[in-house]
Amino acid sequence: MRKICSPAFLITAALAVGSLAATTVAAAPPAGQLLASQCAQCHGTNGGGPGFDAIAGESADGLYDELIEMKYRTQIESIMDRQARGYTDAQLYVLSSYLATLPKSGSGED
Amino acid sequence: MLGAAAAVSTLSKGVSAATTAPRVVVVGGGFGGATVAKYLRMWGGNVRVTLVEQYPAHHSCILSNLVVTGALGMSRITLNYDALRNRYGVTLLPGRAIAINEARNKLTVSTSTGNVVLPYDHLVLSPGIGFVPPPAGYWNPKLTPHAWRAGSQTTLLRNQLAAMRNDDVFVMTVPKSPYRCPPGPYERACVVADYLKRKGRVGAKVIVLDANDKIQAEPEAFGHAFSVTHAGYIEYYPNATVQSVNSTTRSIVTSVKTVRNAKVLNYIPNQKAGGIAAELALSSSGFVPVNPLTYGISSYPNIHVIGDACAVPSSDGKAVPKSGHMANAEAKVCADAIIRSFLGETPDQNIATNSACYSPITNKTASWLSASFIYGDIYDLTGKVKGKGMHRVDLGEAPSDQIDADSYADMFTWSESLFADSFR
Repeated sequence: MRKICSPAFLITAALAVGSLAATTVAAAPPAGQLLASQCAQCHGTNGGGPGFDAIAGESADGLYDELIEMKYRTQIESIMDRQARGYTDAQLYVLSSYLATLPKSGSGED
Repeated sequence: MLGAAAAVSTLSKGVSAATTAPRVVVVGGGFGGATVAKYLRMWGGNVRVTLVEQYPAHHSCILSNLVVTGALGMSRITLNYDALRNRYGVTLLPGRAIAINEARNKLTVSTSTGNVVLPYDHLVLSPGIGFVPPPAGYWNPKLTPHAWRAGSQTTLLRNQLAAMRNDDVFVMTVPKSPYRCPPGPYERACVVADYLKRKGRVGAKVIVLDANDKIQAEPEAFGHAFSVTHAGYIEYYPNATVQSVNSTTRSIVTSVKTVRNAKVLNYIPNQKAGGIAAELALSSSGFVPVNPLTYGISSYPNIHVIGDACAVPSSDGKAVPKSGHMANAEAKVCADAIIRSFLGETPDQNIATNSACYSPITNKTASWLSASFIYGDIYDLTGKVKGKGMHRVDLGEAPSDQIDADSYADMFTWSESLFADSFR
């Protein structure tokens, strides 16, 4: 059973900003962070588990190809085939690209 | 503080020049409240987050039907706030929100040491559901548990089920939609029937009184479970509008069926926005209408309502389900929108939310359900655009032939992941 999605390099960004001025909010949210966070319910915060298949730090194209395959599969084989239908192709690409930037062993800790 | 600015503009002003960190107060520590508190801290730099919650831990409704049957212990669904506090730096305030001063951006909380007034820049309410009492009779959930909030209610129902013997009747209701967890009541009927069968309770049965005209989730899967898998153990009555309830005699009168002196009366009442959210402007169905990009309310956009208490604009017949998984999804959209507002940005419109869920059908098998939504045009039943909102884009529901042991195992992978993403 597979699922895709979720976020962490932002933390680094946030910390960097924080060190410059203790009174500022985080940096602007990176593209794909919010979309990818909707994968975390089943793959763990920042894609780092616990949960179904590991999705953080994989190649963006690999993730995207897999999601597109699931989205357009005519015979539903698993819950991910339905979940993949929940996004436009462009959204799948941006969330795949974001997930690819996350550390493979991401654990959701900061 | 930028409180005043936040209340006036649609989106509060950026905070780059502020001398103190922006403050968000979150009310309610279920899936929605825990997730928004965690993600605001994880994504939001120095945003200060206070979580107001009256109990020391949350008892998950997800998996709680398996606590009712004794398959799982209460500890399995008990989620504490240690990680929110220690890992993410959320401030916990044990207490109950009792008043909002919308114009002055202040929340009053009743605590064991008296009332505390919390100023906020943004307020997020995630109070869950409230119950609408039956139209007549004597209703006391301490005698006849609904177990639609988990915890002591779950234990009470578990003990009552365990006391059932041959020929005893377990009668339960399905509330009028919308209610928390669309598949939940049907799942409960299945696992209770399965329990009675496995315990050899000859002649015992489950009577399901559904206020709706048909099964509200996974109709194929549950229809098959009722008429085949659990044949002889479940009687299902649609269009059963509750007229009166008597918790002392465990009796219920509905428009299509009356049951008196049941062994167990599991009356699950109709529902509305819970806690302090019930004092806001409500939709005709009793929930708080929100902006799907921010979960803000129209009169005070810096007051947000997420989870079961909110009403998300959606296409007719394709409502956004009230579930822990969806509350988690909404919490992330809300957190992102609040952070953007602190930065002086407009909300992201490229958003999607989803819910997934696994429902046990027996003690070895489960079904699954998935629902996905994208922000954009929403439609009425004739296909005409009626506005903007969260439009359901997936194809529908799980085929009943995927009720199997794999899904039963996946149910625990899913719930552990969801629990961790929300609370740890």
